[in-house]
Formats: sequence, C-alpha cells, structure tokens
Amino acid sequence: MSESLLQCIDVSVGYDKPVLERVNLEIESGEIVALLGGSGCGKSTLLRTCCGLVPPLDGDVRLFGQSLYELPPDSRNPLLRRIGVAFQQDALFSSMTIEDNVALPLRELTKLPAPIIREMVRMRLELVGIGDLARRMPANVSGGQRKRAALARASILDPEIIFADEPTAGLDPVVATEIDATLVKFREALGSTIVVVSHELESIRATADRAIMLADGSVAAIGTIDELQHSQDRAVYEFFHARAG
Amino acid sequence: MPTATSVERSGRTAVVRLRGDVVVPTARHVYGTLRALCRRRDVKKVVLDFGEVGKLDSSGVAVIELMKRAMRQRGAELELDHLEQHHEAALELAPPQQAKQPPASDGPTWLEGIGARVLEVADTLRGLARLVGDTVKQGWLVTTRRRRVPQGSIGDHILEMGADAVFIVGLLSFLLGMTIAFQGAVQLQKFGASVFVADMVGWSMVREFAPLITAIVLTGRTGAAIAAELGTMRVGSEIDALTTMGVSPIRFLVVPRLAALTFVQPALTLMAMFIGIAGGLLVAALMLDLSPATFWTHIVYRVKIGDFAQGLGKSLVFAWIIGVTACHLGMRAIGDASSVGRATTRTVVVSIFMIVVVDAIFATIITIARTH
Repeated sequence: MSESLLQCIDVSVGYDKPVLERVNLEIESGEIVALLGGSGCGKSTLLRTCCGLVPPLDGDVRLFGQSLYELPPDSRNPLLRRIGVAFQQDALFSSMTIEDNVALPLRELTKLPAPIIREMVRMRLELVGIGDLARRMPANVSGGQRKRAALARASILDPEIIFADEPTAGLDPVVATEIDATLVKFREALGSTIVVVSHELESIRATADRAIMLADGSVAAIGTIDELQHSQDRAVYEFFHARAG
Repeated sequence: MPTATSVERSGRTAVVRLRGDVVVPTARHVYGTLRALCRRRDVKKVVLDFGEVGKLDSSGVAVIELMKRAMRQRGAELELDHLEQHHEAALELAPPQQAKQPPASDGPTWLEGIGARVLEVADTLRGLARLVGDTVKQGWLVTTRRRRVPQGSIGDHILEMGADAVFIVGLLSFLLGMTIAFQGAVQLQKFGASVFVADMVGWSMVREFAPLITAIVLTGRTGAAIAAELGTMRVGSEIDALTTMGVSPIRFLVVPRLAALTFVQPALTLMAMFIGIAGGLLVAALMLDLSPATFWTHIVYRVKIGDFAQGLGKSLVFAWIIGVTACHLGMRAIGDASSVGRATTRTVVVSIFMIVVVDAIFATIITIARTH
C-alpha cells in the first residue's frame, strides 16, 4: 500500500485572513497531483504552506509523517532537503550562471567531488533541454528557459516530492509539452512525487494522476481529471466547461 | 544502505561488484574505485555488476557517465551488467550523447578591448547629454506650465531628501568646524595669532567644507536612493509602462527629483556653513579664550557675500552632479536585481569622484581669478 508523503489535516491557509479553510488532503508516494482553481483561490499559498514557507493559520501539515510546523527549524531542514520547489517566478539567483544556480544545492548540501557535480548539472540541464545555456546568466535567457532551469534546480537532489508552481504558464505549447514530459520523466526515473499548480487543462491531462480542485475557500473536489470533468459541483463544472467552451 | 565494492580481475577485464545504494552519500566512494581502475593501462574493459545494487540516483548516474567518457577516451570500455528496471529508468536521466560544448572563444584583443571601452564611455556620455537635454527641456515645459509634474511630488522629495538629512549634515558640519578650529588653534597659538582661527574656520567652511560635506552626505543618502528606486522601476518595466502611455519618464521621474535636489542642496549647505562656524566658535571660546563676539566680528569682517555665493554656487553644481548621475545610472539598470545594486554603488562612487574633481577645478579657477 502506498504511503502518504504529505497530509493536510483541517488546514487553513492565508496571510492575514484565510483564503482556504479546512483543507484535508493526502498525497501518496509516486503520484502526480495537480492543484487546480481560479486566480486568487489560494493554490500557490497552499503550495507554499506545504513546503514550509507560509505557516498554516490552523490545522496540521504532515510532511513525511511529521508535523512540519511543530518541528524546530533544525529538525525541519532535513525534511525540507527531501523536497524540491520550482517557484512561479523561477527564483533563480540573478548573480549566478544557470549552471551555478543548479549546482548550488549540491555544493551546499553534499560532499560530492566537483566532477560529479558538474556531470550531474550537465545531465539535468540536458534533461530539461537547456544544456547549451549553462554559462548564461538568468537575465539573458527567456522566461521558458528560466522555468526549465528552476525545474532543474528543484530536482537536482532527486527529491522525494517536487512542488512546481505553474511550470508551464506563459510557455508555447511545444515547450509546455516538453516540460510535462520532463515532469513525468522525473517521476519515472527518480521515483519522485510531483505536486503541480496549474491552469493548463491539457497539461494536467497529460501528466496528473489526480487533481484537487480548490474553489470558494475550500477543496471543491478531488479525483481524476475525468471524474472532475463530470462533477456536478457548480464551481468545478464552471472551471472545466468555461475553458472547454 | 552503504555501497561496498569488490573488484575481480580476469585478464584485461575488471568486474566491479557493487552492493547497496549508489546515491549521493556513497557516490564519492564508487567514483574513487572506478577512477583508480580507469587509470590502469592493463584494464581494457570494466564490467559494473548491478546485481546487488538497490537505489541508483542522479549522482550514481553521473559517476557512470563520467567513467564511460573517461574509458572511451583511453580506448577502453565500460559495460553495465544485471541492470534492473529501476536502474534503467534512472539511467535515462543521462542524455543520449555528450552535449555540444560552445566553441571556445579567444576573447577580444587588447586593441578591441580599448575600442570597446572607448565606445562604452562615448555611449555613457551620449546618454548623459541626452538626459541633461531632456531634463532641461521638460523642466522648461513644467516651468512655463505647459506640462505638469505629479502633484506634490517636488514637495515630497524635498521633505524626504532635506528634512531627513538635517540632523546628520548638521552634526557632521559642527564636528568638522570644531576639527578645523582645533587644528588651526594649535599652530596659530605658536605665533600669537589665535584670532585668525575665525578667518580659517569661516573661509574653509563657507568656501569648501560645507558644500563638500553636504554633497557627500546627499550622495550616500539621496543619490543612492534615487538610483535604487529608478533601477527597480526600470527592472520592473514601470519606466517602459510610462513610455508606452506617452508620459515622459524624464518629466515624471527625473524633473521632480532634480528640482528637489536643486532646492535642498543649497539649503542644507547654507545650514552647514553656519553650524560649522558655530563648532569653530565653541572651540575658540573654550580653547583660545576668544570671546564669541570677537570671533563673530572676524567672521563678518572677513567672510564676504562672494564667499557664500561661491559655496552655494558649487553646491548647486554638486546637486546636479548627484541628481544626473543617479538618474542616469538608475534608468540604465537592465535585467535583474543585481543591476540595481551595481547602479547604486556606481552612483555613489562616480558622484563623489565627480564632486571632488569639479571642486578641484573650481578651486583652481577661483585662485587664478583672484591672483590676477
């Protein structure tokens, strides 16, 4: 039986007041889960809460079986090293080249010799399709290329969970499809669990095993894309059919 | 589970049996073993036996890729044996072939380097000239009420640049006035000419130090702030947004800041002149037994309106040096947050350098004019 890597138990998230309340969800090992919902529904905030950045206003976030926010920082860091996060605004360090950005977790957190680090970075950049941009600065590549670099950095330590906040937003369909394929490849090759925030239905159909629909301040539905598409819930129906139509 | 390796030799073939996980903590050990084998000239083939390997992660795949390349380079071969499905899945992380390396560049020659630098300086000067021209033009349009700056912006900038700097400029001028008086008193006392401390403090504060110390403080506070603010706006495309709206960024952003500096710098300089003199007066009274009335009479007698005009005139020039440099470098920030940092640093360095150079030019011209 699969084990729950991430659990949200009656979690409320937000900054001053809750945008999402009583969120209950479980994410199991090896699955790709999409967080869906309209703009401002709290998808990204929930993602940030799950990866230790925004404490929940209420409830418990359990990562790898431990209550993330009840742990002291020293005990939290080893847990956080088992996840990788690709942010919506890529969050690459502007003063470092792409390869230095991707190598940073390896240099900071492992004692691997430099040739292995270089090779790992080269392989990962090739995998996400930007092997020839290794020496460029983030400011000198396109938005899509920066997103790929961010994904390479998030995955370089072979994390057990990869969180990706809108990894295909604003990209052309060809590049978006390649990134979707890369996420699936991460699951197959690294055995990673992937939690992705996305608006792109085609992208979610191609990658996600399950989707969690957020609407009206809580979880509106959980299921496969097909199940959600046939949901009678008003918000879910509008989300899918407004896009389909 | 840690990796153990055992090596068996059969002629020119070495079989390496791996046991355990080949992951980040163990990859270093596997790499060391394989590299040692790779260096042996009597080994033409290495077989890596994965029969007892558990997990294989990216670091393990990287080690295998490195070794494959190294073996190929010396005409040897690396074979992977007893791979399980999850090992093969992990090996898919490696690209099918070596990425094309960008062609090595010889870099520019020294002559090209000088040429590029000259062009860069010319471009900077052209940009500066354009900024000054546009600012004068937009300033004229605002003065003649044909265009407007954002309501209240000049007043806000005056408060921000001026009121907040009063304490620090005042304190530094007072201490500077005291220091000049101390230094002068020690020497002048030897000649019985203590009373001339007043002349010394008055002239040096009014002609030189008040404009200079005010300009240096404003460069650090205001110049850096302007460059950072405009740089951030440039990086965030706010300046582009103004341009596409048909609103002149010079009128909207530069004119109010320069107008405020044009007012604030001489005002603070005037304040610094009197506070510096007060600092000198205190030292003269306490150290030289010079009465405040005598000190003040000397100041009034020796320091003329022309000296004040010289100091205030310089402060106006300094204000424009700070404002134009900060606006120019801030608006040229390109790309990312680090360029804003660079613009801010360069503003402080370039402004102070220019201020000192212009001050030296002023001193030379005025001295020559006085002696003729």
